[in-house]
Amino acid sequence: MTSTAAFAPAIEVEGVARSFGDVHAVRDASFTVQPGSVTALIGPNGSGKTTLLLMLATLLRPDAGTIRIAGHDPVADPRAVRQAMGWMPDVLGSWGTVTVRRALEVTGRLYELTPEQARARASALIELVGLQELADRPSRVLSRGQKQRLSLARALVHEPRVLLLDEPASGLDPAARVELRELVRRLAGDGVAVLVSSHVLAELDEMADAAVYLDRGATASAERVERSRAQVRDWRVRALDPAALSAALADLGIAGGASDHLGTLIPVAGEAEAAAVLARLVGAGVAIVDFGPAVGDLEHTFLDLARGAADPAAAPAPAATEGGER
Amino acid sequence: MNRSLDTLGTIVRLELQQRIRSTAWIVLVSVVFVLVGLVTALLWASLTAFGADVRDSAGIYSTIIFFVLLVGTLVTPAISGAAINGDREAGTLATTQVTLATTSQIVLGKFLAAWTVALTFLLASLPALLFTLIAGGVRGDTLAASLGVLVLELGVVAAVGVGLSGLIGRPLFSVVTTYLVVAALSIGTLIAFTLGGLAFQTQQTQTYISIDYSDGGEFDPETGLPVVIECLEPQVSTYSVPRFDRVWGILAANPYIVLADAAPTTFDSNGFPQDLFGQIALGVRSAQLPIESEVVYDECGAALAGDPSLGYPYETPEQIFDRTVPSWFVGLLIHVVLAAAALWGAIARTRTPAGALPTGSRVA
Repeated sequence: MTSTAAFAPAIEVEGVARSFGDVHAVRDASFTVQPGSVTALIGPNGSGKTTLLLMLATLLRPDAGTIRIAGHDPVADPRAVRQAMGWMPDVLGSWGTVTVRRALEVTGRLYELTPEQARARASALIELVGLQELADRPSRVLSRGQKQRLSLARALVHEPRVLLLDEPASGLDPAARVELRELVRRLAGDGVAVLVSSHVLAELDEMADAAVYLDRGATASAERVERSRAQVRDWRVRALDPAALSAALADLGIAGGASDHLGTLIPVAGEAEAAAVLARLVGAGVAIVDFGPAVGDLEHTFLDLARGAADPAAAPAPAATEGGER
Repeated sequence: MNRSLDTLGTIVRLELQQRIRSTAWIVLVSVVFVLVGLVTALLWASLTAFGADVRDSAGIYSTIIFFVLLVGTLVTPAISGAAINGDREAGTLATTQVTLATTSQIVLGKFLAAWTVALTFLLASLPALLFTLIAGGVRGDTLAASLGVLVLELGVVAAVGVGLSGLIGRPLFSVVTTYLVVAALSIGTLIAFTLGGLAFQTQQTQTYISIDYSDGGEFDPETGLPVVIECLEPQVSTYSVPRFDRVWGILAANPYIVLADAAPTTFDSNGFPQDLFGQIALGVRSAQLPIESEVVYDECGAALAGDPSLGYPYETPEQIFDRTVPSWFVGLLIHVVLAAAALWGAIARTRTPAGALPTGSRVA
């Protein structure tokens, strides 16, 4: 990688729109992804995530706006983009009668590796995604999670500098999710720019450095994201003695919310206030065993933005584009 | 160039690996092998029973070639007709399109693979074909022309199938449409030819001058004619005759006729074609003969000249072949253009990044 490429954003999206007939799948998307970072692409079902990724993956032509992947335009020079970009689709297709190893070798050959390179790369990837035992079985016998791993391996065949992952964790068991997270972090550590779409926000919280919120085909502006992050949100607090906790909360004048076996929810505005509340509770002698945000950062922002979009005062809502994900 | 052929080869191998390695396919090819063997054995037995000479293996050879064309055109649409949209539905098209393989390479690779699969039927009938060749009687030029056209025609069906699978969204519809194209060429041309010929009828006046057998004179025991030949009054009648000579061009687009017309045929000593190629080609060649508005059958005048059968103008098939024109290259050209157009359309429609998508379809 040249030094100029290292500093330029690996993915640049500016004002991109794409509609299918009268369905406006993506209306106005703008964001950048830096090399060596993991960016989460977050949005509800039908918000245009897959359409946006298809445009980044050189498969769909945007109606408006510009896209640069590793400095190349996917419409003008798809070959250069394909050389630099790996794409893991949300649809799990595999050549059913072809073995896992052969599928990866063929993909390598289609990326113009020599037969020896393709063989070596296939073996390395099989090990990387943990499909050793199934390597010589036809891919139709794979389970959903195993196909998911094969799909990820296929996206990595040509060692791309930009990785687009569309719902990579769906169908994976918890152990495989942890492995996926570690793999994605390792790739980012090697300088790969990763864009991950998902609506399972908890797992993205742990792997993403940045987030792009997509709602009804438009990316939320940085200010809106900032505003919603600063808002009052629920923190969950759990003590050894719930009765002592509620008494202490009452003393502090904090209205405790619903209580359950996981603890009590209390409204807190920002992390500074959270730290102060914790200090006062501990100071009051309550034995706190658990204290933290009730929902992850991404989820909180996501839900808040979704609420904001539904509120006509916050955002002049356009005609609904439900079902426009494709 | 080398690299792009390399990629094309990878796609062809991948396609073959997916389609040819199924048990169903092996069963199907074995069935064809057995059927062709049976047809050959039965034809051989029946023709030998008629006491025909060894030249009849030309007849068996031509029958096998037509059989392979029939089986090939019946099965190839099923293999090729879902090549592109089937992959799209299975989610394997887009993952191939994001690699460095171009759309042209993907479409052409699928076409070459489908063609190869269609040719396995020819391979299955190779033992029977070899048998007829060893038995003798098949001319070298007939062999080359018939095999060449058969291979090309199977390629045309494969190309039309792959092309339509790129142009039509749903696999079922593209397979059915491919079958309809094959049926239109194989059967539709025959129907159009027949109806067209019947639609353009013309009046033909036939004048018949026969010998008077009724005056009770002596008959020549050798010829069966009266010793004194007297002519009756000419009888004039008018008929409506279909003008097949105006619509014979429709038959040129029929793959069976292209094959028959392209293969040089062998005639026996009476001028009759020895193989199925000649017999089928005779159909399209005879249809070219112009219809005369007036025909005179002067049996009596011919009898006076010595032989009454000369009163009926007769041409042997060989003579008809000699004075009519071959049309197979026109038909073959039409087919090749159709195939190329289908493939070109599929490439244009499948190209990424995709602009307009067919309604109801998705790129991945």
